[in-house]
Amino acid sequence: MEKETMIGELVRLVGKDNVLHSEMHYKLYEYDASLIRSKPDCIVLPTSTEQVSKVVKFAHDHKIRLIARGAGTNLSGGSVSIQGGIAIVMTKMNQILDMDIENLRVVVQPGVVTLDLKNVLAKHGYLYQPDPASEKVTTIGGNFGENAGGPHCLKYGVTSNHVLGAEIVLSDGQVVQVGGKALDNPGYDLMGVLGASEGTLAIVTKAVLRIMPKAEAVKTMLCIYNSIEDGGNTVTAIIGEGIIPATLEMMDNLTIKAVEEAYRVGFPTDAAAILIIELDGLKDGMERLTERILEICRLHNVREIRVAKDQAERDKIWAGRKGAFGAVGRLRPNYLVNDGTVPRTRLPETLARVVEIGKKYKLPIANVFHAGDGNLHPLILFDERDKDELERVHAAATEIMKVCADMGGTISGEHGIGLEKLHGMSMIFSPKDIAAMKRVKAAFDPLNLMNPGKVLPDTEKAA
Amino acid sequence: MSSESQMTSAMKEIVGEANVIQDPDRTKAYAVDGLTPKAVVSPGSVEEVSKLLAHANSEKLAVVPRGNGTKMAQGGVPRKLDVVLSMLRLNRMTEHDVPNLSLSVQAGMTLSAVQEKLAATGKGSFLPLDPPYTGQATIGGVIAANSSGPRRYLYSTARDLLLGLKAVSPNGDVVAFGGKTVKNVSGYDMTKLMIGSWGALGVITEITTKLLPLPEASATLLASFDDLSKAGSLTRRVLHSVLLPSAMELTDGNAASRLGHAGKYLVAFSLEGVGEAVERQLVEIGEMAKKEGVSEAKVFRGDQDRAFWINVRDFAAVAGASVILKSNVVISKTAELLGMYEKIAQAAGIACAYTGHAGNGILKSYIMENVTAKTDPVVDLIGRFTAEAVKCDGNLVVESCPSGLKTKISVWGQPRSDFAVMRRLKDELDPAGVLNPGRFVGGI
Repeated sequence: MEKETMIGELVRLVGKDNVLHSEMHYKLYEYDASLIRSKPDCIVLPTSTEQVSKVVKFAHDHKIRLIARGAGTNLSGGSVSIQGGIAIVMTKMNQILDMDIENLRVVVQPGVVTLDLKNVLAKHGYLYQPDPASEKVTTIGGNFGENAGGPHCLKYGVTSNHVLGAEIVLSDGQVVQVGGKALDNPGYDLMGVLGASEGTLAIVTKAVLRIMPKAEAVKTMLCIYNSIEDGGNTVTAIIGEGIIPATLEMMDNLTIKAVEEAYRVGFPTDAAAILIIELDGLKDGMERLTERILEICRLHNVREIRVAKDQAERDKIWAGRKGAFGAVGRLRPNYLVNDGTVPRTRLPETLARVVEIGKKYKLPIANVFHAGDGNLHPLILFDERDKDELERVHAAATEIMKVCADMGGTISGEHGIGLEKLHGMSMIFSPKDIAAMKRVKAAFDPLNLMNPGKVLPDTEKAA
Repeated sequence: MSSESQMTSAMKEIVGEANVIQDPDRTKAYAVDGLTPKAVVSPGSVEEVSKLLAHANSEKLAVVPRGNGTKMAQGGVPRKLDVVLSMLRLNRMTEHDVPNLSLSVQAGMTLSAVQEKLAATGKGSFLPLDPPYTGQATIGGVIAANSSGPRRYLYSTARDLLLGLKAVSPNGDVVAFGGKTVKNVSGYDMTKLMIGSWGALGVITEITTKLLPLPEASATLLASFDDLSKAGSLTRRVLHSVLLPSAMELTDGNAASRLGHAGKYLVAFSLEGVGEAVERQLVEIGEMAKKEGVSEAKVFRGDQDRAFWINVRDFAAVAGASVILKSNVVISKTAELLGMYEKIAQAAGIACAYTGHAGNGILKSYIMENVTAKTDPVVDLIGRFTAEAVKCDGNLVVESCPSGLKTKISVWGQPRSDFAVMRRLKDELDPAGVLNPGRFVGGI
């Protein structure tokens, strides 16, 4: 279909205020937080499920490719329109529809910003647990599509553990209900497979989320190390002792220095590593547990321990952690963040390999990671105008993925495969595994119109 | 040679003669809803499962995977049954990574055998699932049926615990999904799709799961009430408090008395974790119960604590129920639903007992009658119970009932708008209809 005709039809379906097609707008929606860029042919901002359904049906009837986007914070190219078509931007559907506190559920539209929801819930004393570092801007729909994590996932699980139901628009425009406020709906766990499907299976237009009462007590500790290895070994030892804190976060020296320069949160810039350990739950026994953890830290040569005395001190520590990517981003024009995940006991050796890879390719790598989950985030710093450097970056990123796969881990813990990690899928899956996933894709989207070219590599090539 | 003997000779070639049962006197014991399989085959390796399914796929044979058979009374009547695939020989722990708190175990090992080994290794850990019949139920069956128990209130269910699994696709492909990391977004989350899929999308051969350290202390608080609304009110208070019991079970008087307790209604709390927190919760929940006018409160520790929860978990066996119904509704309606069900059952003159996970919106009804003598009233009762559950944003599943009843009711309830997708998934993943045909939702 001619682009002009398509735009005309879309304007007719959703109104001209909800259709964007200027060069400036193409620029605005051509990227996410990865290095990948590609322009959509048209941008639609629907305001209702009905509009989403109409647009999807229109695309289906004319075999036009489409992609659903939230805030575009995706880190793997998942929300970039690499094959053109319609970008359906969900940010106008940003209402909290039902605060069903009695049943520990909220129903939201996909464009609700994660932190906005959490702030509303906090007023009632309740929590939605997932806490991706980008929560200030990311949307619930995007979080679910990518199955976003965050520091507190160590104890509470990732986004898909907290999304219990949804209204979705299927690839032919049909609107169906999946899961719901009640648990254990009979049938296949479609919610389960929709989480992390990166918009390749359906578009979520409503989500039912699990909430819980705020924990009674929180204890946040900042542990400072002269050796990154000691920090890593502390993590393994804490879990090995049978203690599962709410968070176990780690940062290396390069990250600490960048954070300190950007935010002045009081991290010691000469430290090799810091660990942020947080406990939450009932206040009873927490002091004893804290003491046990600190004892483990001391056994592993901790240099200094700071226990946050109040909420302000806690906020400061977390501001440093959550701002880490942004702070590191100031060091060089670009960064590429890896998301490999390993069994947590293999963290120290994996880290050593990442350092070697940085040296081998002559690239500075800053490390921030969800240590308790074994989820690494090596940030490779570079300047994309330097073509030679860019090539080394991609080679280093691929090698880090391979190391994680070889350690019995995986290539992505929480950022998604998208386009960027497509070539790594064969490191962890056989062609038969991928063939099974392709059958799921075919069941949901037989014409391959929804976010085509993402998540699942060409099986022939993978073989 | 008849096609049947061709089939069994092919199977014998794959698994060896000793692992194929075809004597009708013995296969009878493996009948599903009155359908006796032509053969019961016990593969000894994943490769053998793969070969068997590839054979079944090309010959369009209907295969029902089976562990120890604790869930054979659940599900719709199979459209066809050629082979029962016994997974009991695949019964090893393949990797117990103690410091990583993860475990890989094959489908045929019983959950209780897993728990015993875990408790005895190192500082002790456990797989936080407590479904009915833990003693006999195999890992594969528990996961394929997404079976759960009272402690899901704190520890949740398989979908929040499993890190990955291995399965054999209906065409014989050996596939592996997920891994052994606690976070993983590489590819589709096929692990969740397989959990609770009733073996209809593939035969689970191995799972990898998170483990938790054994709790330092535990105790049980029992609170009896004469008034259901007060019992319900107590569960609501605890649900919205900062307290963190691992289970919060609500039962009626019939169930309570079978569990050895007096009172018209019983609320039981399992408290696990650090010692200080267990003691404090005993005190605080005790005080809340007093405010609600508790008629009797008891604390169980040690063996009494353990035994109580085994009986709750395995209540179906304790009660000897003929029909078990599981209603899933919004959390706040659990107690109300119990009250509604009591009225409906009394009016129908059908004896029932009820146990519910009051913090999850799950209520189980146990019909304690000879159903064959009362088929029509029981069918009517199930219809009314279902309607009430649907009114509470929920559904009702028949967890167990005699085959005769299954032709008169829909054991999975009415399929919803997402059924079209389920149908297509089944057709894509199992086009020949090899696995469990007809037993799952909507006859898929």
